[in-house]
Amino acid sequence: MRRFRHDEEVDAVVIGTGAGGAPLLARLAQAGLTVVALEAGRWWQPERDFATDEIAQAELYWPDERLSTGTDPIHFGRNNSGTGVGGGTLHYTAYVPRPRPADFRLQTEFGVGFDWPLTYAELEPYYDELEAILGVSGPSPYPWHPQRRPYPLPPLPLNAPAQLMTRGCASLGIATSPAPNAALSAPYFQAGIGWRPACTHRGFCQAGCSNGAKASMDVTFVPLAVSAGAEIRPASFATRFERRRDGRITGVVYRSKSGEERQHCRHVFLCAGAVETPRLLLMNDIANESGQVGRNLMAHVAPQVWGRFSEDVRPYKGIPGALISEDTHRPPGADFAGGYILQSIGVMPVTYATQVARGRGLWGPALREHMRSYNHIAGINILGDCLPSPDNRLQLSDELDHRGLPKPLVSFNLGDNERRMAAHAERLMRAIWEAAGAEGIWVFPRTAHTIGTCRMGATDDMAVVDADGRSFSVPNLTIADNSTFPSALGVNPSLTIMALALRTADRFLSRIKGG
Amino acid sequence: MGNESKPPRFPSGTVRALLQTHHVSAATRAALTERIDESARPWSPRFFNDAEIATLRAVCARLTAGDDLDDDPDVARTIDDRLAEGRGDGWRFAALPPDPDAFRLALRGIDESSTALFGVAFVELAPDQQDHVLTTIQRGVAPGTVWQTVEPSLFFQDLLSEVCEIFYGHPIIQEEIGYVGMTDLPRWESVGLDALDEREPRPLPGDHVESRS
Repeated sequence: MRRFRHDEEVDAVVIGTGAGGAPLLARLAQAGLTVVALEAGRWWQPERDFATDEIAQAELYWPDERLSTGTDPIHFGRNNSGTGVGGGTLHYTAYVPRPRPADFRLQTEFGVGFDWPLTYAELEPYYDELEAILGVSGPSPYPWHPQRRPYPLPPLPLNAPAQLMTRGCASLGIATSPAPNAALSAPYFQAGIGWRPACTHRGFCQAGCSNGAKASMDVTFVPLAVSAGAEIRPASFATRFERRRDGRITGVVYRSKSGEERQHCRHVFLCAGAVETPRLLLMNDIANESGQVGRNLMAHVAPQVWGRFSEDVRPYKGIPGALISEDTHRPPGADFAGGYILQSIGVMPVTYATQVARGRGLWGPALREHMRSYNHIAGINILGDCLPSPDNRLQLSDELDHRGLPKPLVSFNLGDNERRMAAHAERLMRAIWEAAGAEGIWVFPRTAHTIGTCRMGATDDMAVVDADGRSFSVPNLTIADNSTFPSALGVNPSLTIMALALRTADRFLSRIKGG
Repeated sequence: MGNESKPPRFPSGTVRALLQTHHVSAATRAALTERIDESARPWSPRFFNDAEIATLRAVCARLTAGDDLDDDPDVARTIDDRLAEGRGDGWRFAALPPDPDAFRLALRGIDESSTALFGVAFVELAPDQQDHVLTTIQRGVAPGTVWQTVEPSLFFQDLLSEVCEIFYGHPIIQEEIGYVGMTDLPRWESVGLDALDEREPRPLPGDHVESRS
């Protein structure tokens, strides 16, 4: 790996190596720019380091404490906060449906929410490119978008929860399909990355893939970036910006094992996610002339419905989200704006037990008896849009962390739209599970992902960055992560974070080429 | 359906036997073997005092009560280790004090509630009395002044979640529920309903309950 001196002015420092930072880093390095990525977490060697054990793998989740408040406090941890080279993609489910064109225009369609300052058509070439680089396994033709480019690989096999959801949906007339997953159904080669092996059906995507079949950033865009000359600095936590009088950033200050260090640079790309990106801006009191930094935090509506089946399920096997239905994108009988997708889910025992604890409150013999049915448990969940609200926000608390920096305080209330959507989905999922033959059906109310807090928009009074991710007030600061999403989109965010990052990089490159 | 009221019983020893095979990676074997072995090593609390750890152990015993086997994982020990090392899980309810304070206060609160309801400390109570105290905490109606600073039902939810994580993260308890997901090498061949690989445990017939060996 190429290494840069700290006093050398590199073209760009990229903060974060997840779904935003890694693709952008690779793109800049491939264009010949000198780039350094700062990553707070470790650089894992999954085959050597990753145990198939949920307790050991808890190191993949952001360890520093976030404070949660509001009527629906967000539970951080397993599903929304990665650390390590690769960021959240180390533990994402790799469920990668594309959003629909309408998802970007919720305000136009429903009169609520916020339209994106760009369209699906502008991102479509990036979705095509990404699916090829990642090696997405999925059905072709795709039932809800038959004209789209075929997926590079056929879908992964349906595990037991997927077969049960197929059965339940079929009897209710709901169309289903094997889902697009960024995990390989066959060995796959890409230049600059090499061969990656096929998925072995470990079912462990959410706690780290140990063989490289899942397209996390550490086995895709990070090697691409490094082979093109980028430097990755793990265990480097950015804390401050050094600035000139005209506001330009001249260097990024960060903490590493050797203490406080700084890297001089011409441009900064902030890709630290919807919590750490606004936190860093607020701590430095920059890029916030609009007062929008930290606001409009969104979390997908994502209730799960669980049930017990007479058949052997063994929910630890197979890609966890093997099945999809998009029939609920704009569902009949909806009393809410937007829509959702349906997904079958497998689950690991510790994750399931903690959900039983929080969702059912079972303990003692009732808990032990419930958990003895683990091998017969299967679930469905939805991933639904969430409207932005300025009062759902991240602020700095008065409490300091072990670095002496203020902990983030996140306040979140589900709105009426989210509550109506969740109720609609719970009714439908219960019906599907009853039709599939489930007993003991129960609902775990839940949100997923953190989105927003530095939204993009047309003007500087209501947004933090423009459609290219550029700060309206700091001339050489760009944001490329899920914090810039102006609305949540009714699908999992990672693929769109990557698409946006590649587009942001291309727009930046064309600007500096144009002088 | 035959097993709707009777969950399956699985034989004991399954995970421990499979840990020695090529179905388990070195990293997985190291993590799980350490978890099994650590209970045999002498240990004393570093965060809690002796009275506190005794109360926490009694609480954990009720939360995980089942077949009352004596080799259940020592959940309180793992909680003490975490608090002594200053580790968290990445978030907390802002309504609760930081974990170290919340635990100390809550353990006082548990004794306060026990005394108010039954006149003695939690560890002195009969199991059904202990369950009653814990239920008042879970429902947010536990008597005592401490619970004005630690919201009892939120604390209980967090505690129960952590207890479940530690308990069901332990290989011996994973044997009880028939989980062998850690034996994932070289791959799972059988993926689907009623599709089992050779190494996956089959439920014991009938009402057979085997004691752990």
